Amino acid sequence: MSASQTQDQVPVTVLTGYLGAGKTTLLNRILTEQHGRKYAVVVNEFGELGIDNDLVVDTDEEVFEMNNGCICCTVRGDLIRIVGGLMKRRDRFDGIIIETTGLANPAPVAQTFFVDDDVRARTRLDAIVTVVDAKHLPARLADSHEAADQIAFADVIVLNKTDLVTPAELEAVEARIREINRFAVIHRADHGNVPVTQLLDQGAFDLERVLARVPEFLTDDAHEHNDDVTSLSFSVEEDLDAEKFNAWIGALLAEQGQDLLRTKGILAYKGDDRRFAFQAVHMIADGGYIGPWRPGEKRESRIVFIGRNLNRPRLRRGFEACRA
Amino acid sequence: MSAEVLCADHILETRGTSRDLGAHVVACAFAPDGSAGFALGDGTLRIATDGEWTSIAAHDGAVLALAADGRGFVTGGDDGKLRRIAAGEATTLADFGSRWVDQVAATPTHVAAGYGKKVAVLDAAGKTLKTLEHPSTVTGLVFDAKGKRIGASHVNGASLWFVAAKTDNPRKLEWKGSHTAIAISPDGENVVTAMQENALHGWRLTDGQHMRMSGYPSKTRALSFTRSGKFLASSGAESIVLWPFFGGGPMGKAPTELAGGDNALCTYVACHPQHEAVAAGFSDGLVVLADIGSERILPVAGPREAGAVTTLAWRPDGTRLAFGTESGFAAVIDFSKK
Repeated sequence: MSASQTQDQVPVTVLTGYLGAGKTTLLNRILTEQHGRKYAVVVNEFGELGIDNDLVVDTDEEVFEMNNGCICCTVRGDLIRIVGGLMKRRDRFDGIIIETTGLANPAPVAQTFFVDDDVRARTRLDAIVTVVDAKHLPARLADSHEAADQIAFADVIVLNKTDLVTPAELEAVEARIREINRFAVIHRADHGNVPVTQLLDQGAFDLERVLARVPEFLTDDAHEHNDDVTSLSFSVEEDLDAEKFNAWIGALLAEQGQDLLRTKGILAYKGDDRRFAFQAVHMIADGGYIGPWRPGEKRESRIVFIGRNLNRPRLRRGFEACRA
Repeated sequence: MSAEVLCADHILETRGTSRDLGAHVVACAFAPDGSAGFALGDGTLRIATDGEWTSIAAHDGAVLALAADGRGFVTGGDDGKLRRIAAGEATTLADFGSRWVDQVAATPTHVAAGYGKKVAVLDAAGKTLKTLEHPSTVTGLVFDAKGKRIGASHVNGASLWFVAAKTDNPRKLEWKGSHTAIAISPDGENVVTAMQENALHGWRLTDGQHMRMSGYPSKTRALSFTRSGKFLASSGAESIVLWPFFGGGPMGKAPTELAGGDNALCTYVACHPQHEAVAAGFSDGLVVLADIGSERILPVAGPREAGAVTTLAWRPDGTRLAFGTESGFAAVIDFSKK
């Protein structure tokens, strides 16, 4: 995606979070705060937003499967249409915010930005921001897949309602989030009081920054129950063979794409002085060169998986076998 | 070869009137009085009458759809309103609240407006006759040539309704996937939709035969049958793609491709209302007129900086062609004998 990014592309922020987590409060803050920027907002419950904004678009989430032989490739038809409509008055706003319903799986929204050519040409997915309720998250994780999926997909997590829990509970819930997604930025908040600058224009899907904040190798994975969402990262110091990587990742996504919620990588291909950036949402993958390795930057290949049923030894062996 | 032939803007310069309107041209159409209307992303409708250009505020937001009915222009906007613009004045026909009115179709006697999953059918006076419900948002709306039926595209197919029916049960045309535009052949026997997967899907109504037309490098936005119904012109490829609807086609037949070779995508097509000819616009701003029988191409305008051609329309008598582009260039060309 980043290879074709230009200034003309409108940044899109996806705002997700379980019912009652505080999404609407956060959205109202974003829209009322004086930040000098105008946002078109796509919502599902028009009435909930107590704001008169002529750029609020009321929609029904219309998810459909692509007829491309890929069983988990679902996209949001309504977003394709709305982005097309908003582009007719492109000069009226600086960015788009899409609020999903509480029970929504974030995959179709994210995949829409990979799959539809018109949407890709005109917009760039800036970040997925997930609002979670510090008090009720443990219960949500216990009773639904969606709560974990929303955290897994997040680039930025607003850990809201921190005023309703004890410091010990807050530590515990943050640790639980880290087990699912150790790569997202977490902002603690109450009543959604996070500065807008920490949420919008993050460039989180900008592959150049994807792995900038990947923490160093963590080897202890205390929790690997198969049904839980976890995240793993691997790095290889030797150069990779592009063909071997493509063959491996292609087969892996085809076989286990339903379990792999997000995959991201920065790769050093043999004989190329540019960094290759790769990312996927389920089976839908995208990649491109993103400029040379910077002076002083360690030339190594790194890959991150967030998903279910991640087999650490097998994934590591597979990645390491891509060495040139 | 003369210098005139080399200049792609020759027809525009000698037979056209044009303006830079400064906003995305969403659609254009001709009113019964012969004037051309251009619906813009800034909420205005610009009207060109014999070289005079006027502007009318139509919607608070963007105009999303435009059609001509028996009295003037009908527009839909992202302010949820359906309006009629006639004799220099805009009146509200209906207000659908927070939903975008992004589909409008009209005949001299009826207006149909799509907002979300619903389509409102109004009579010429603006009275709502009925509201048609669909399983998902309506993405394309068209009357058949006689104005008796309405076709609406949506997810998993299209619905075909009789305008005058007492009980409203549509004929459901089903095919899995997202359908994003619709056309009905002049004889009323074929319905074709454009799909998300860069392909067209068709239904022959007489026997329910499915038709699949694929091979496009991008999505098709515009579908237009020639007057005879022998060809279906479509955008979405680097040429005008014409599918034959005769001799057993389009099944098993290759389409005719015209005006290709410039590495620009065809972004809009509109067939001539009388002759077997099609006007086409491209992503580089080029507009051509193609004669289907002889495969001759007449350059009309461009390419130009003003971006992709977003709309084309013929006056019903076939003497004028209007077009507009992404960044607001608009023109009316006079093809009448001089």
